[in-house]
Amino acid sequence: MKAKRKIPVDTRSMIWVMATLAIALSVQLWRMPVWLIAATLAPFVWRLWSEKKGLKPLPTVMRVTALGVALLLLVMSYGNVFGRTAAVSLLAVMLSLKLLESYYVRDARVVVSFSMFLCATQFLFAQGLLMPIYGALVVATALIALAQLHRREAFVDSSKIPSLGRSAISELGFSFRILLLALPAALALFVLFPRWTSPLWGVPESSLDARSGLSDSMSPGSIQQLFMDDTAAFRVDFEGPVPSQQELYWRGPVLWEFDGREWESNFWSRNIEARKRPQDSDADYRYTIQLEPNERKWLFALDYPTQVPPDSTLTMDFQILRKKSVTQLFRYDMASDSDFADSPQLSQVLRQTALQLPEGFNPRSRELVSQWRQEIPDDRELAERVLRYFNEEEFHYMLDPPLLGRNTVDDFLFNTRSGYCEHYSSTFTVLMRMANIPARVVTGYQGGWFNEFGDYMLVRQSDAHAWSEIWLEGSGWTRIDPTGAVSPLRVQSGSLEAVSEPRHMLDFEWLRQVRNGIDVLQRSWNDWVIDFSAAEQAKIFEPLGISEMDPKRLVTVLLVVLGILAALLMPFILKIQGPMRRTPLQATWLRFLKRLQQAGVSSRPSKGAWTVALEAGEVLPADAPEIERITTLYNQYRYSPTPPGLKDFKQAVKGFRPGTKKEH
Amino acid sequence: MFGVGFGTVLAATAIGALNFNNNLALLLAFILISISLMTMFLAYRNQAGLSVLKIAAEPVFAGENALFQVLIRNTESRNRYAICSRWNTATEAHEGGVGDCRDFLPEETLKLNLKCETWKRGRLKMQAFAIENRFPFGLFKAWSILVPEAECLVYPEPAHNPPPLPRTGRGDHGKAQKGDGEHFHGLREYQPGDSLRRIAWRTSARHQKLFTREMEAPREEACEFNWYLTPARDVEEKLSIMTAWILRAEHHQIPYSLEMPTEALPADLGEEHRAACLKILALHEG
Repeated sequence: MKAKRKIPVDTRSMIWVMATLAIALSVQLWRMPVWLIAATLAPFVWRLWSEKKGLKPLPTVMRVTALGVALLLLVMSYGNVFGRTAAVSLLAVMLSLKLLESYYVRDARVVVSFSMFLCATQFLFAQGLLMPIYGALVVATALIALAQLHRREAFVDSSKIPSLGRSAISELGFSFRILLLALPAALALFVLFPRWTSPLWGVPESSLDARSGLSDSMSPGSIQQLFMDDTAAFRVDFEGPVPSQQELYWRGPVLWEFDGREWESNFWSRNIEARKRPQDSDADYRYTIQLEPNERKWLFALDYPTQVPPDSTLTMDFQILRKKSVTQLFRYDMASDSDFADSPQLSQVLRQTALQLPEGFNPRSRELVSQWRQEIPDDRELAERVLRYFNEEEFHYMLDPPLLGRNTVDDFLFNTRSGYCEHYSSTFTVLMRMANIPARVVTGYQGGWFNEFGDYMLVRQSDAHAWSEIWLEGSGWTRIDPTGAVSPLRVQSGSLEAVSEPRHMLDFEWLRQVRNGIDVLQRSWNDWVIDFSAAEQAKIFEPLGISEMDPKRLVTVLLVVLGILAALLMPFILKIQGPMRRTPLQATWLRFLKRLQQAGVSSRPSKGAWTVALEAGEVLPADAPEIERITTLYNQYRYSPTPPGLKDFKQAVKGFRPGTKKEH
Repeated sequence: MFGVGFGTVLAATAIGALNFNNNLALLLAFILISISLMTMFLAYRNQAGLSVLKIAAEPVFAGENALFQVLIRNTESRNRYAICSRWNTATEAHEGGVGDCRDFLPEETLKLNLKCETWKRGRLKMQAFAIENRFPFGLFKAWSILVPEAECLVYPEPAHNPPPLPRTGRGDHGKAQKGDGEHFHGLREYQPGDSLRRIAWRTSARHQKLFTREMEAPREEACEFNWYLTPARDVEEKLSIMTAWILRAEHHQIPYSLEMPTEALPADLGEEHRAACLKILALHEG
C-alpha cells in the first residue's frame, strides 16, 4: 500500500489550531518562569508569520536546536523534569514546538488532541470554579479546529473548501451546542462509571512544588505571609453547636525547638503517638472538615481531637499527621473534647525539651524574667504577669514590623515592640522557658467565617495564627494566646479586623463580603464535583436500599441511563445539523426558480441552470430575454473565483415578474 | 486513523483521571467521549437518505481517465456536509483514492465524480465504490458501498502517427452531407474541431455558449475506412489507426464510411456518426 497522502493544512484551520493551544496553555503560563513563557510563545509568533508569508517549515537542524534550547531552559528553571509543574511545563513547551512542524492536517490534529490533554493536566493543580470555564473554552475551540481540519481533509481535491457561511461566533455556537448535548451523557458517566477505590499508581511526588500553608517551622514573618493569602484553607460543617470565635483554635504544627530565631518541630513529638486521648463520648463538637489540597500532612482540628481519620496518626502533642500529603481535596470527620487535660504528668525528657533554649541569647529578657520570678513564685500568675506586661506596655499588633536583630526577644521586648502573632507567641514562649515553665509554640488557624447561606465555616489562609502552650502543674498543657493580650480583636473578630490598614490595593470590606458569599458556590462545587469518589458513588444507591454496588451492576445502570438519555436527547441532536446557510447567490437563484414556478414553469432544482432557462423560455417566450439575462448573471457569479457583490443579480431577480408581459 | 489516535489520548486522560480521582479531568474525558460517540451518530445521519439517481460516464479513449459521474440527490430537507465518493478498493486503476466531495443543500442534486484510469478498449465495468463522510470532526466514518451496473465505453487509443487518410471514395453519390457547404441546416453545440468560420457568433453571444452552424452540401469527396485495407501489424494497431483516421476526418470535415468484417456504416459526418463508428471499433472482437 502506498503511504497515505499528506494533506497540507490551510490558514483558517491553522489559526483555530493555534487558538486552541493558546487557550489550553493560558493557565499553565502563569506557573512558568518568564524565560520559559517566552520560549513557549515564540513558536506561535514564528508559525503565524510563516503562515502569512507562506514560508516552508524550518529545517530539521533548527527545529532540533529549538527543542534543545527549550529543554535547557526547562531544566534551568526547574532543576529537573520530574516535578508535576516541570512535567506539565515540558508538555506545554513540546506542544508549542510541535507548531513549528505542523504543516499537515495530521500534525495539526496531534496538536489539538494534546491541547485537550494539557487542559486535563491543569486540573491536577487547580479545580476551582473558574477551571470548568477554562475547560469548556478549550474544548469548544478544539472542536472548531477539528471541524475545520475535517473539511480541509474532505475537500483536499477541490480547489477550495466550500464555505459554510458561518462566522466565528456561530462556529463557537455550534461547538457549545455539541458540548451542551454531550453534557448529560458525560454526567451520567461521571456519576455511574465505576471508580477505583485506590489508585493503581502513585500520585506524582509533589515535594518538588511548594504550596502555601503552615509548615513545620516558624520564623518572624512566616505567618504574616499567609495573612496576605485569601484562599481557603479548609471548610467546616458543624453537626450541632458551633463554638464561639474565641474557641476556634484549629491546631496544626506544634513547635518545640528554638534556635534563637526559628521554631521547629521535634522529631520525637512527630513520631510518638498520643498515649492517652479523650473519649469520643465526651466530645463537645462534632464536625466535618473539607481540607483544601496543601501538599502537607497536617490535618487540623479543634482541641482536643477524639477521633483519628484513616491513614493518620495522632501524635503525643496532638497534631494529626496524615501518612501522605494532602494533594486533593480531603474530607474527614472530627470531634473535639475541649475539657480534656493534656498530660497532667510531664516526663522528665519532655520537660527538658520544653525548657530548652539556646545559650547566650537575650540577656536583658533573662534579667527581666528572673526579676519577675523572684516576685511571683506561681507559674500561672507569672504567665499572667507577662501577658499584663504585653497589654500595659506600648506593644502593637501590626503587619510589616521592623526586622529583629540577633537577640530577637530582647529586640522585640525593648526596642521594636510591634509584631504579628508569631512575634508574640515566640517571645512569650521564650520568656516562659526562661522562667523554667515548660512551654511550646502551636501554630494553626484561629477563627473562621461562618457562612449563613451555606451553614458552614470557612477558614482562610489569612486566618493562620500562632499561640503558646505552657505546662502547669495539675491542669497540664494550657493554651495561652499572647496576641490576645495585645489585640483582643484578633481573637474575637478575626485576623482581618485586627489590622487597621488594608493589606493591598483591592482589600475592601465589601469585596471580602462578596468573596465570602461566592465561597458557597465553591463549596457546593467541591462537595458535588471535586469530592465525588467511589465512596460517594456508593452512597447514591443507599436510599434505594442497595448498599453494595459492584462495577457490573453500575455498568448496567449506566447503560440503561445512557439509553434513556439518548432517546430523550435525540430530537435535539437531530437538529444539530441545522440549516446550512445558503449563500446569497443560491438564495436569490432559488427565489428566481420560485417565481418561475408561480408562473407555471415546472422546474426541479436538480436541473441545470441552462436547462431551466431554455424550458422556461419555451413556456414564457415574452420573458425569455430576461430569463436568459438572469441565468447568465447566475452562471457568471457561480463560477467567479472571488465572492461577488451580486447587486445586479439580486435586482434582476427582484424585478422579475414572469407572465405579466403580453405576448406579441 | 485520527479517530484511533484521538481515542488513545482520551483513554489516557480518563485512566489518569480515574487513578488520581481527579474529577474535573475525568469530567473532561467523559465529555469528550460522549461528544465522540455523538459524532458517530451524526456521521451516520449525515449520510442516511441520500439516493443515487444514476451513474453516467462519457466514452473515453484508452489511456485517458474514465470519469464516472454519480448523480446523488439529497431527498430530505436538511443539509449534508462533505459527502465524498471513493473507490472501494485502491487498486492501481483507481489511484488517487478520494474521488470527489460536496456539501448538499436541502433537496439538492449533485454529481460526485470518480476517476479511473483506462488502458484497453472495450466496455469498462465500474468497480464498487463507496459514498462516505466523516462529519463533523473526522473521528468516525460512515460509509455505504455500492456495486454499480454502470460501465464506460473505452474507444481504442488513437494511433500517434497514422498513415494518411485513404481518400478514395466519392461522396457525390450519397445524400447531402452535413458539414461544410452553403446551405444552412441547423444549430448545434460547438464541438472541439469545428471550424471557427462556422460558429454562430450572434447566438453564441446571447447564450454564453458556443454554437456551430451545421451546413449541408453535396460532398465532393469521402473517405472509406476499410478493415481489410488498413495497413497494420495486428488487430489493435489496426483499430488504433482507424480511430485516428476517424478523428482526423472529423477534424477536416471529410465524410467517411466504415467497413468492418461484421458491420458497415455508410459515409457520413458528425457527432453521432463518429460515436457510432468509434463504438464499433471499441467493441470489435477478434
